[in-house]
Amino acid sequence: MLMMLAYDPSTNPLNNNEWSFPLVEIFHITGFALSIGTIAIVDFRLLGLALRYVKPAQLLKDTAPWTLFGLVVMLITGPLIFSSDPRMYLYNESFRFKMGALLAAIIYNYTIRRKVALSDVSPGVGKVVGAISLLLWVSVVAGGLFIAFY
Amino acid sequence: MSISETIQSIGFMTDLRESALVFPIMLTTHLSCIAVFGGMILMTDLRLLGLAMTGRSVTDVVGQFRIWKRVGFCIMVTMGAMLAGSEAVKYSANPFFWGKMTLLVLMGVHALVFRGSVYNNTAEIDRLPAIPTRAKVAASLSLALWFGLVCMGRLIGYYEAPQEKAAVSQQVTVAAHVPR
Repeated sequence: MLMMLAYDPSTNPLNNNEWSFPLVEIFHITGFALSIGTIAIVDFRLLGLALRYVKPAQLLKDTAPWTLFGLVVMLITGPLIFSSDPRMYLYNESFRFKMGALLAAIIYNYTIRRKVALSDVSPGVGKVVGAISLLLWVSVVAGGLFIAFY
Repeated sequence: MSISETIQSIGFMTDLRESALVFPIMLTTHLSCIAVFGGMILMTDLRLLGLAMTGRSVTDVVGQFRIWKRVGFCIMVTMGAMLAGSEAVKYSANPFFWGKMTLLVLMGVHALVFRGSVYNNTAEIDRLPAIPTRAKVAASLSLALWFGLVCMGRLIGYYEAPQEKAAVSQQVTVAAHVPR
């Protein structure tokens, strides 16, 4: 907290030229399109909506490196965006909602969902697990967007 | 009245613009589509480039995702059209909006050009020992077009029309609607 008080956002390069902030945001959006998009592919499979003749485990292995790559891009650009105006973000309710949803989504992704996708569970369980995953990630996107409105 | 004024004066377009909640919800839906269905676009292109999902045939990847990419695209365009329609005056003065529309048209051209030889020809591509250059060109162009679309989409929010800048100093609330 003390460090936060000493930090002056006006010295942040992101606030000192016109192009860097939008550029970082564009990479942030591309990063989540890649990570959430590849997660959604497995979720669609779990929901029985695509590639039904492929095992979810196989699909997870196919997409996991891309998901991770997207997540890394997202988790580098996200804190950069945050650093442009930490106080505003910390006091923003949408931002706090987003962080909660993000934490839940990441933990869920690498625990329950991973376990279910890698094992042969009944289609019913798969559907619930896939739906929760999509819901969590859409909540993250919604939280992010609402930062600008509320 | 100009065309853009007429469009945004349509009853529900006005309601949409003036609603504090509906506008961001539609924007969220618009953005969620690129998050949820963008992966399928990326994976299709990366498969054609031989970089991802190489364990699946091109036919599988293109064929299985096609319907969902179409569903996603329809939702995305519907949301986009309504968002743009509700703020037609602002958008029609925004060069990034027109950049985005141009890229959308180019995507249509891309689909027409490569449909027969690539996307509807996947069985043939799977039979060949290597992915043909034409398919790789199609995939690279598709990636470039989608990245361009994301860029333009985001930059729309940053553009301030010259006269609008002057208005902000008198009426601060004008800017409240534009995401950063």
